[in-house]
Parts: sequence; structure tokens; C-alpha cells
Amino acid sequence: MGFEKFLFYVFAFITLWSSGMVVTRRNPVHAVLFLVLAFVTSAALWILLEAEFLGIVLVLVYVGAVMVLFLFVVMMLDVDMAILRANFTHYLPLGTFITVVMATEIFIVVGSENFGLVAFPAPEAVSMAVDNTRELGLSLYTIYIYPVEIASVILLVAIVAAIRLTLRQRPENKYVSPSNQVHVKRFDRVRLVKMASENSNFETPAKDTRLDDGVTK
Amino acid sequence: MLNSYLPILMFILVGILVGVGPLLIGYLLGPHRPDDDKNAPYECGFEAFETARLKFDVRFYLVAILFIVFDLEIAFLFPWAIVLSDLGIVAFWVMAIFLGILVVGFIYEWKKGALEWE
Amino acid sequence: MQFDAANLTTILPEITILVTACLVLVVDLYLKEKNKDVNHKLSLFGLVIAVALTGVVGGGERVVFFDGNLVHDRISDLLKGSILIVSLFVFVYARSWLKDRNMLVGEFYVLGLFAVLGMLIMVSANSFLTIYLGLELQALCLYALVAFDRDSKKGAEAAMKYFVLGALGSGMLLYGISMIYGATGTIEFGQVAQAIAEKGLSNQVLVFGIVFLVIGIGFKFGAVPFHMWVPDIYEGAPTPAVLILGSAPKIAAFALAVRMLVDGLQNLHSDWHGMLLILAVLSMGLGNLVAIAQTNIKRMLAYSTISHVGFIFLGLLAGSNQGYASAMFYTIVYALMAAGAFGILLILSRKGFDVENLEDLKGLNDRDSWYAAMMAIVMFSMAGVPPTVGFMAKLLVLEAVIRIDLVWLALVAVIFSIIGAFYYLRVIKLIYFDRPMLNLPELVTTNGVRFAMTINGLALLMLGLFPTALLSLCQAAFV
Repeated sequence: MGFEKFLFYVFAFITLWSSGMVVTRRNPVHAVLFLVLAFVTSAALWILLEAEFLGIVLVLVYVGAVMVLFLFVVMMLDVDMAILRANFTHYLPLGTFITVVMATEIFIVVGSENFGLVAFPAPEAVSMAVDNTRELGLSLYTIYIYPVEIASVILLVAIVAAIRLTLRQRPENKYVSPSNQVHVKRFDRVRLVKMASENSNFETPAKDTRLDDGVTK
Repeated sequence: MLNSYLPILMFILVGILVGVGPLLIGYLLGPHRPDDDKNAPYECGFEAFETARLKFDVRFYLVAILFIVFDLEIAFLFPWAIVLSDLGIVAFWVMAIFLGILVVGFIYEWKKGALEWE
Repeated sequence: MQFDAANLTTILPEITILVTACLVLVVDLYLKEKNKDVNHKLSLFGLVIAVALTGVVGGGERVVFFDGNLVHDRISDLLKGSILIVSLFVFVYARSWLKDRNMLVGEFYVLGLFAVLGMLIMVSANSFLTIYLGLELQALCLYALVAFDRDSKKGAEAAMKYFVLGALGSGMLLYGISMIYGATGTIEFGQVAQAIAEKGLSNQVLVFGIVFLVIGIGFKFGAVPFHMWVPDIYEGAPTPAVLILGSAPKIAAFALAVRMLVDGLQNLHSDWHGMLLILAVLSMGLGNLVAIAQTNIKRMLAYSTISHVGFIFLGLLAGSNQGYASAMFYTIVYALMAAGAFGILLILSRKGFDVENLEDLKGLNDRDSWYAAMMAIVMFSMAGVPPTVGFMAKLLVLEAVIRIDLVWLALVAVIFSIIGAFYYLRVIKLIYFDRPMLNLPELVTTNGVRFAMTINGLALLMLGLFPTALLSLCQAAFV
């Protein structure tokens, strides 16, 4: 038990520290990388709580996918931190005040008096035989069928909205379409035209020596 | 249960040691004599023309977000795959509808050309 | 495991909307540019079917489905029906505006229909999880719709503000939900109420959770002091998007409040009563006062929304069945009025010209007297002038407040609505007594739009003269 507690404090400390770094770094890319660290350590916290599936999903989805998106967005936007920080001192007093009030409130409410082990005793340890992912699946696909389907609709909306907002047809871009290349027929490229032979001592007109209008060679 | 994660913890510790250790040793033992020219970004002997960061195309973002959607879908598939044999036909159809809705989105993005990289 | 097919019959309207949206999404890919009207027709067809199905599966006693995630009762029937009908009007009005600007694409209808689906899910939700998912579905669609005009900087800015503040509101809501889950150990409304009744939990955790729930509701409704997003989004977003997000989502927000506060936390009424009271007074006050100073009509209508939200909260905070019924009546009527007002703005706009300023309404009577009359009815109704339904709605809400001995609150509400009447009547003055601006192009509308607007306007009048039909439905929902 003692070692788990020790691990908890280590991971919790790294989470808090890296979250702090996220908001104070000058370089947004560094901030994103610290966010990755924060996510990894929170995944470790989940696993300490024996919610292994959530921990793994956190790594899989957030660290694997969402953070890549974050990096792209950070690269995409030309963030000038100097402008963002210009009003920092201006808003600092109000921000500090609100933070202090909120933190005090949360401490009072979530403190051990209301949320301690007396009011909410620690759940009994489950046996090794219980598989976390399995239990999750059992409730997800029996009790929570309806929310699961709504979740898929939300994902669909995400696809539609992302494509509508960012996909632009770029007619000026030239690109090769392999499918068209493969489907091309002989007749599309070369046309044989039957015609009578022309006069053999045909003289080239003078203007053909020029390649293009106005560009002489 | 946590015992089975002990190797992973060990792995992380060793990984940190191997990754951070040499850097740290180099930082501590190596000579440090920085000056302005050494710290300046190097660009073929010229002064730097612009910042090294250049704006990414918005298409990267689109690809990333489409990836996330299907990544999340996979996250739903794991628990489903484990319990399918117990829950039987209902769970099968739940996932069929779930995937069906996303397939509509897939058809849309395919036909729309969002997967093309012109 | 057995699965009861009755689960599926109750959500037939939702399934219809989902299928319609998916169909539009796929069909649109294969449509030629000139046939884009098919999207419009398909969407309207789907909505009509959904309205019919709501009627068919509606009625009957309160039943819980999907293991407690979904509830079917009179509230859900009535709200579903009104959301679908208001959305029908919305899609009819939006068509010509979109067509003029080459935006009559499938995505608009898909996102609009999914927003409607989100609202339907919220209305019949019976657990915090379902209602949150419904809310997010609706909100995601609305964010995208606000940014729908990709080339508009204003639209993008509005969408960004809406997204950030909307996400903040959702976050607050989620935090409150987690507190309540922590205190009661369940996310199902019925069980939450049961847990509170049994354990007599009056602990701080619950109250803290309620604070965040009310803040979340305030954000979604746009009540003062969580109203900052409303005017900017109304001004910056394309008018059809404003039409969508200003009308039916108010009904869904009402459902959000009723489901969480009444279904789940009715026993803690004394705790949320005071919070709603503050929101109501501030909303009515600030909304009505600031609206007077606006010259942009979309901003004016935004502040007017805020003041109407104050009135809706008056009915909710009463905490009686009569109060809830009157708030429900007010919300449905408000959604109709908002649809009418923004509908008129859309009708007056055309290619390259958006009605933005109050001046653009000048002399509407000379240009098209029928639309002028409809706009006048909408404005009278918003101001609460008898015999329009707006008067009836305000009267019912005030009655609910007086019944719980808050006469001073009723007086405050009356004073603010008299102040508010000024800017509504100013619009009517512009329509009837001012000359139209020069060089205005002719008003072009289709018969369909005229028909819809006529029904919309006359409905406000008829509901005012004969309010019993809708009112008895509302009262039957809360017994």
C-alpha cells in the first residue's frame, strides 16, 4: 500500500508540474509536449485506481491522436506569444482573485469533511478475476446502448463539420490522378487521321521559327 | 492487478534513465562556453531569414481529425470484442448500427475527396 | 439478453431524423449543382414524418426506456412536437437565403437535422449522461453552422467565441454533474431524486453541484451574467444559423433545465430557487435596457432573447406545476416568435445584401404589406401586447410568480417589459410610418415562404385569442 501511495504522489506531482509548464511555456510546441506528459501521468493515475481501460484509452486517444491534432493546430496557427501575453498583468489581479475564490470553495466542499472516507468509504477491492475492460463492455452494451449510439452520431457530426469547415477544392492545384491514368484508352491520346499526302517541298512559314508569340528564339 | 503493471513501471524508469541519463551527463561534464554566435540559429552562414516555424497546411488538421474519429471508434470496439460472446446478438446489432452510422461518414469523406492529397 | 422492441418504437421520431440526415448526406454527394433542392425537400419530408410519428407514438403514461436512459412522457411529446414544427419553419425560411449565396448544400441540412436530433435526445433524456450527449450533439452542429460561411471573418470569429464559451458552459455542467454523481452515486434523474429524498442529503456537495448545473444552464440559455456570447454570435453568424440557434434550442434548453432541476433535484428547490431568481432579474433588466441602445437588429433581437430568458426563469423558479407549465408555454411561444422575426430578416435579405440594421426595415409596409403585418404581430407578441400570445405567456408567468408571494418580482418584471416594449414598438414605427430607403431592390419571395410566414404570424395571433389548446397541453405535462 505504501508503495502505491508513493507512486500516486509522484505521478500527481508530475501531472501538476507539467500542467503548470503547459500554461507558462513561451514556445507553444513545448507546451503541447508538456501536455502529453500530463496526459501520460494522468493515465498512470487511472491505472493506480485500477481503471486500466480508461488509462489505456487515455494514452491511445489523447496522447496518440488528440495531441497530434494539437501539434498540427499549433503549427497551423501563427501564434505570437508576445501579443497573447501583452495583457497578462492587466488581467492578473482579477484572475488571481477568481482563482483564489474558486480554489477555496473547492477545498471547502471537496475537503475531507464532505468527501472524506467517512462520507464515501473506499470501495472494496475487487478480486483479480474481474476484468476491467470486460465489466465496462458489459454495462456499455447492455445498459448504455442508447448513449453509445448517440456517441456515434456525435462522431459523424465531427466528420461532417470538419470537412465542411476545412476542405476546400483547389482548382489551381495540379495533381496526377492514378485512377484516370490507369483508365486512359489509346484513343484518348493518339488519333490517327487519314489524309492525303501534302506537297513535299513545303516551306516552313517564317513565323513558325518563333516558339511563342513575342518570344523569339 | 497493479502487480502486472510493475514491469511497465520498471520499463518507464529504465527508459527515463537511458533517455535522460546521457544528456544529463553530457550537460554536467561537458564544457560550456556559449556566446551569441554559437547560440544563433545556423542558416548556411547567412543571418536567419525568418523563424524556423512555418505554417502548416490546414489539410494536416483535417487528416488528424478524421484519424481521431476512427481512433475513438476503435476504443469502443475493444470492450465490445471482449463481451460479444456473452451478450450475443443484441450487442452485435448495437455495434453494427454504431459502425453503420460511421460508415455513412466514411462514404461522405471518401466521395467528398477529403482523403485525397492533391 | 432480451431487448424490448418497445424501446425502438418510442424513439421513432429520432430514428426518422437520423435516417433523413444520413440520407441527405449521401444523396447530396451524387446531386448535380442544379438539383440541390432535393436536399431541402428530403429534409422537410423527414421532419413532417417525424412530426407525424411523434403524434403516433405520443400520449400515454410516463414510461422509462433503455434501462433508464430515456423517458417518454407528456413533456417529451409536447416539446418534441414543437421543436420539430419550429424546425420546419426554420428550414423553409432559410432556403432562398442559402440559394442566393451558393450555400444550399447538403451539409447545412445535415448539420441542422443533427442539431434537431440532439434537441430531441435532450428533451426525452432521463439521465445526466444522455442529456449531456444530446446537448453536445446539438452544440457541435450549431458551432459548425455559425461558421458555415467559410469566407466570412465575422462568422469565424463568432463561431470561435461560441465554441469557447459553449465548451466552458459544458465544462461547468459536467463538473456539476460529477458533484451530484459523487453525492448520490447515480446519474439517472429518478434515482437521484430518490437518493436525495431517502438520505435527506442537504450537504454542501449537492449544493455545490447545483451551482455549477445552474451556471451551465445559464450559459446554454444565455442568461445574464452568462450572456456574453449571445449578441456577438447573433451579429456575426449567418442569419439562417441564427434562425436555427435562436429558436428551437431554447426549447431544448428549457428541457435541460426541467429535466435536471425538476426531474432530478426538485427536492432541493429551495437551493436553486434563489440562483434562478438572480439570473431572471439580471436577464430581464440588462436584456431590455441594452436592447434599446442597439441599431443592429440582430443584436437587438439577441438582447431581446436575453430578456425573454429572464421571463422563462420566472416560471421555473416558482417551483410549482403551474409555474413549470407557464414557463413551457412561454418557451414554445418564444421559439415561434424568434422563428418569425428572423424569418422576416431572411425574407428581406437577398444576394449581396443582409438585413443588419433597424433602418433596413423602414417602410416595409409600402414594400410588402402582408409581411409588414406579420412582422408587426411578431413584434407586438414579443412586447406582450394583447391580444397576441406574448401577452398571454407573460401573464401566465407573472401569475405563477405572484402565487408564490413574490409580488415585487412580478412588479419588476412588468416594469422591465414596459421598458422593453419601447424597442419593439420602434420597429413597428419604422415599418409603418417611415419611408423606405431609396434604391431598394424588389422583394422576391416564394409562395411556400409566404405560406409558412402567414401560418407562423397568424399562429401567434390565434394562440393569443385561444390559448387553451396549447395551455392545457402544457398543464397536462406537469401534473
